[in-house]
Amino acid sequence: MCGLCGLLGEDVHWSDPLGAELPRRRERLRRIAAINKVVAPFRLKVEDFQGVSYLLLGATGKQELATGLEQLWQKAELLIGRPLDPLDSRLLEHLQRSS
Amino acid sequence: MSIALNVITGFLGSGKTTLLKRLLADEAMGDTALLINEFGDVGIDHLLVEEVAPDTVLLPSGCVCCSIRGELKDALLSLLERRGRGEIPAFKRVILETTGLADPAPILATLSNDPQLRGRFHVGLIVTLVDACHAALQERLHPEWLAQVAAADRLLLSKTDLVDEPTLTDLREHLQALNFSAPLLDSAQVYSGDQVLLGEGVRSAEPAEEVTRWQLHRVQSTPARHGNAQVCCLTFDRPLDWVGFGVWLSMLLRCHGERILRVKGLLNVTANQGPIVIHGVQHCLHAPVHLSAWPGEERNSRLVFILRGLDPALLRHSFEVFSSSFALSLSESAA
Repeated sequence: MCGLCGLLGEDVHWSDPLGAELPRRRERLRRIAAINKVVAPFRLKVEDFQGVSYLLLGATGKQELATGLEQLWQKAELLIGRPLDPLDSRLLEHLQRSS
Repeated sequence: MSIALNVITGFLGSGKTTLLKRLLADEAMGDTALLINEFGDVGIDHLLVEEVAPDTVLLPSGCVCCSIRGELKDALLSLLERRGRGEIPAFKRVILETTGLADPAPILATLSNDPQLRGRFHVGLIVTLVDACHAALQERLHPEWLAQVAAADRLLLSKTDLVDEPTLTDLREHLQALNFSAPLLDSAQVYSGDQVLLGEGVRSAEPAEEVTRWQLHRVQSTPARHGNAQVCCLTFDRPLDWVGFGVWLSMLLRCHGERILRVKGLLNVTANQGPIVIHGVQHCLHAPVHLSAWPGEERNSRLVFILRGLDPALLRHSFEVFSSSFALSLSESAA
């Protein structure tokens, strides 16, 4: 647990922060911001849940809790009914526009 | 301390047991625990191996990928338990011989995702044997063949004496084109206790040596398809944002993992002096490794994929859009 932030931390994943010098909570919020940028075209939103899980919010009010990135993509698939494809042309256009 | 698990795989009849017998005859291999799959009720593999390695633990059923997941875990935990009780001698490494039809990816998934195994075992090297006599036929008929070759850290050619020289040269070229970074050796020239086979790859004390062996900067994308597979190289000159990269790759592996047979990369990540090494098989990625220095002159990020049925142009476009998008947001936030 991170004593500074009181975070239990989520499941170990290869994409976890590389260095230990940055506060975990800050890194987590950066990751959530990055995810939100990507899931926006699918009309999804992701919020932090207790520093351990992710709360996924669909456009129709459906919600799902996910622990770790793997489960996050899995639950997002459930909410929108198809996989979140990083090769999707609409997603790529959205990212190009927003940058 | 985490114990390395080296995987010996290869199609049915490619000579895995013959190789193991030769390797294990060496006294230096005494600190090795061997796990083998008994195929069906016959258990021929067991009979052949038992003579040279009394510490053999058998996985009880011969079913391939699906069954190996649960049972591999039990077998590994039981090894640790028995070692703790002193029933078997201490061992420094585990060698797992898979059945000929196994896809190596689930082994990596089991070791990195299972909370009881994570931290106690890690995959060292995946050694794939290729039957020079039947390679072309096996590639055409069995998708597992390509998965095994692509996943390999070391490729071994067996039965080379049964094939004429031109065919052998073609096969060597084909294998090198498919799996650019795995050293290709002749199985007959491997002697017992060979460290090339028994090392730990990037998890060893000298990860830079292994990364240099990959020669990522010499790999080129293949325009023509090699059988079913294609190599795709992606480069990015500016430092990458690790968070954005993690989101992109995890999303990609979730969606297209079955079509990404292998990924290897040397990344220039913001705020890290040395490069970050990543590599994985299908859906599963190893924990990233930090290198203290770049292996060559170039400092750009480089990713190499072996793809099956996925358009490299689409992948390249997606990577460029994501990396530019996240690199920008990072510089904005720093400004």
